[in-house]
Amino acid sequence: MGNQKVNNIKLGAFVLSGLVLMIFAFFIIGRNNNIFGNDFKLKVRFSNLNGLTKGNNVLFSGLQAGTVKEIELINDSTIEVTMQINSKVKSFINKNAVAAVGTEGLMGNKVVNISPVKGMSQKVAEGDLLQAKNMANMDEIIEKLAQTNNNVASISEVLKGTVLRIDSSAILKLINDESIGISLKSSLENIYKMTSNANKMTIGLNHLVNDIKKGKGTAGLLLTDTLVAGTLKDAVVQIRAASVNANSMTLQLNKMVKDLSHDLSNGKGPINTLLKDSLMAKNISFTMENLQKGTDGFNQNMEALKHNFLFRGYFRKLERQKKEQQAELLKATQQR
Amino acid sequence: MSLVIRFKNFLDETGNIARFTGRFFSVGIKPRYEHKEFFNQCYIIGYRSLPLVGLTAFIMGLVLTMQLRPSLVDYGVESQLPVMVGLAIVREIGPVITALIFAGKIGSSIGAELGSMKVTEQIDAMTVSGIKPFKYLVATRVLATTLMLPLLTILGDAISLFGAYLGVNIRSVTSFDLFFLQVFKSLDFSDVLPAITKTLFFGFAVGIVGCYKGFNSTKGTQGVGISANSAVVLSSVLIFIIDLLAVQITELLGLN
Repeated sequence: MGNQKVNNIKLGAFVLSGLVLMIFAFFIIGRNNNIFGNDFKLKVRFSNLNGLTKGNNVLFSGLQAGTVKEIELINDSTIEVTMQINSKVKSFINKNAVAAVGTEGLMGNKVVNISPVKGMSQKVAEGDLLQAKNMANMDEIIEKLAQTNNNVASISEVLKGTVLRIDSSAILKLINDESIGISLKSSLENIYKMTSNANKMTIGLNHLVNDIKKGKGTAGLLLTDTLVAGTLKDAVVQIRAASVNANSMTLQLNKMVKDLSHDLSNGKGPINTLLKDSLMAKNISFTMENLQKGTDGFNQNMEALKHNFLFRGYFRKLERQKKEQQAELLKATQQR
Repeated sequence: MSLVIRFKNFLDETGNIARFTGRFFSVGIKPRYEHKEFFNQCYIIGYRSLPLVGLTAFIMGLVLTMQLRPSLVDYGVESQLPVMVGLAIVREIGPVITALIFAGKIGSSIGAELGSMKVTEQIDAMTVSGIKPFKYLVATRVLATTLMLPLLTILGDAISLFGAYLGVNIRSVTSFDLFFLQVFKSLDFSDVLPAITKTLFFGFAVGIVGCYKGFNSTKGTQGVGISANSAVVLSSVLIFIIDLLAVQITELLGLN
């Protein structure tokens, strides 16, 4: 019967391995579902579960912390979720922790995310109600996104127009024109030269001003010489006196002119006679004509006298004296 | 043979199998039990089938992973490959493939063995010598198949998942821990328990059909071949029918 016993041993090993595997699998699955865990429960009330169901995971700061044990509708806007929490994690959850319904990945299962909040607080106790944070669900996000999209579309439309206008505008042509760049460059260079010249100039001016301050040069002398200033002052005083005299003179002149005009208008005095007596004017004119004729005749006589040999010597002497006088005058101007 | 006669024969056969099953429950379960023969059959049916089941399960896991991979890559969820393969193996592929292999190997051997015993009048001889052939031959075998197939399925699932792990690692790299975690994170009792429960029925169906076909074998040596062949065919078909029923029942119970 040795063979029989070996067969039985083999059979026993086979059955045992199968059973062990089955129990192991059950244990793992049970542990994942927190069936053998302790009975520590936390509660949270949401207004919207977004599809959270019994058995979904509970994460504490992203760490697997338990499962959703029960979902109960309390009233039309409140749903109470009872979560079973691992014994390892429960001692880290504070009373002020916040729970929110989230999603595993983009399209995955729903989860309850418990996140710690800064600040001191007591540790949670059995059956505590955590604060709920209602998260924006996918539909709301998409709705918002649609609005944003519309805005972006209109903005891009406007921007397109603007860009087109800029593209066809003269400024862009100016910017694109290379010669302008070159001339701009050269003018910039010129400006640079100019400024350097200006710099030099200012340095020179500075020196000059310094010199003047120190009293060097004519201007310096002029500005610094106190004697000149005194003289100038005197001159100004005299000019003022002269102007006063001039004023009085003009007053007198004015008076005289007034008298004259008065005489003229009243027909008194010799001037009036001179100006208004037409007969006398005729006589005078006649006399003047006669005088001219007389002087003409005299002129001829004088010319004849000049050419006469008796008087020639006297006229020559006169000319020589006149020439000497002129030469002396010239000499005097040259010496000055 | 007209259709009516064939239909009548089919009904006759069904009725006979039902009676046979009823006989198993009325006679087979009552004491006294044939312990020795039961363990012997368990050894033959269970232990001796393990290499075959293990090989097919391993290949199945590996191939399934490699076949599923491209479509998952298309959807960009390559990381979910362990989850998908794990669920497929535990829920459906493991039990059914194991049961089919089991039906091929055990159903035919039971049918042929009992058929040849029937044909060579050994069963009649047993009756004469005071051993109840139904208890000794049928009850032990049916019980053995019923209990061994779930065990084979669990072992097959484990080997299959290992094959899947290797399959994932052919193209990309996954640590065993991560693979293991991913598979078991997706598994629930509602996945495992119905799958194992239905293998009990698969095993029972294979055993009872094999025994019935063998027990009612006729026409000499030729009949042995026919009974072996029809045992495999019928038990395979029954496996799929039971699978269909199982999925409907789990659906009704809300375990899916």
